[in-house]
Amino acid sequence: MHELGVVMNIVENVVDFAQANNVTQIETLVLQIGELSAVIPAYVESCYPAAVDGTMMQDTKLQIEVLPANALCRSCEEVFGLMAANGVCPHCGGKDCETISGKELMIKEIVAC
Amino acid sequence: MDTIRVMEIKKSVFDDNDQRAAMLRNELQEQGVFLLNLMSSPGSGKTTCLAKTVESLHGSMGIGVMEADIDSDVDARTIGEVGAKVIQLHTGGMCHLDASMTRQGVEGLGTKDLDLIVLENIGNLICPADFDTGASKNAMILSVPEGDDKPLKYPGMFSMADVLIISKMDTLGVFDFDLDAVKERVRALNPNISIFPLSAKTGEGMEAWTQWLQKEVAEWKKGATHA
Repeated sequence: MHELGVVMNIVENVVDFAQANNVTQIETLVLQIGELSAVIPAYVESCYPAAVDGTMMQDTKLQIEVLPANALCRSCEEVFGLMAANGVCPHCGGKDCETISGKELMIKEIVAC
Repeated sequence: MDTIRVMEIKKSVFDDNDQRAAMLRNELQEQGVFLLNLMSSPGSGKTTCLAKTVESLHGSMGIGVMEADIDSDVDARTIGEVGAKVIQLHTGGMCHLDASMTRQGVEGLGTKDLDLIVLENIGNLICPADFDTGASKNAMILSVPEGDDKPLKYPGMFSMADVLIISKMDTLGVFDFDLDAVKERVRALNPNISIFPLSAKTGEGMEAWTQWLQKEVAEWKKGATHA
């Protein structure tokens, strides 16, 4: 459970961004988390209130978008969803694939008011 | 009513750490210091293996060790006794080290007269794999008693490591550990990894490992003259 450290880092980043852009109030923070990312959305949500406590984001809502883990099959060059396929290409049965998305952890945007 | 604006940030959270890690790596190369990030689960024999490694390289190069633990200094004492300069990093509960913490450790240790710094990361096979520490190379230890299925269970770390040490080879007769299966499973994830089975207790396989390390340190120092 290392989410708290990661979320505190995110909050620091967003506060810096807000100050640099003269934003005084943030209504919503939108994060994108890949299915293969090292952080778990449910844990991010549970430690978020502790991370924003005492900051300008105390009342900022958190919204999380989960990004799918996709892979490119090196045999047939089709793209497929990695989680459902369990690492095996559903088009040709090949196992030699390259992960092309799913490890992201992005601060996507803020809704400022 | 105030206007509501959606402001795009599009910033990867790991970017910061990656940039700090790259900066640290460059600075260390300019100083001719090789940083090895050593990862494993608790009880894999990391400290024993490291103590034997320091013993055998002592005299040929200046070695520093950063011991990262939640608490205590038992490992630092053991390593200090065999001739390395040691600093103990207490992480206060964090489960991995990132580039900022590594930099603090390097600055606390000091790089003067050192050619090799080993960062003994926190015993954990999961998140240390996701945070670049700024190391020149990443090494991991898997001990025989842990079992040959670990590459299947923790693919992240086995995929990112440059070198795998299989430790406690002297216990191979006691455990059902299939060395060939491990090599095959690891190479399926990471075809370029170097693998060294060894026993720090009997000394078996230690030479191949220390030779690899000496060669890597020498090559890293060659890069320093170009920097």
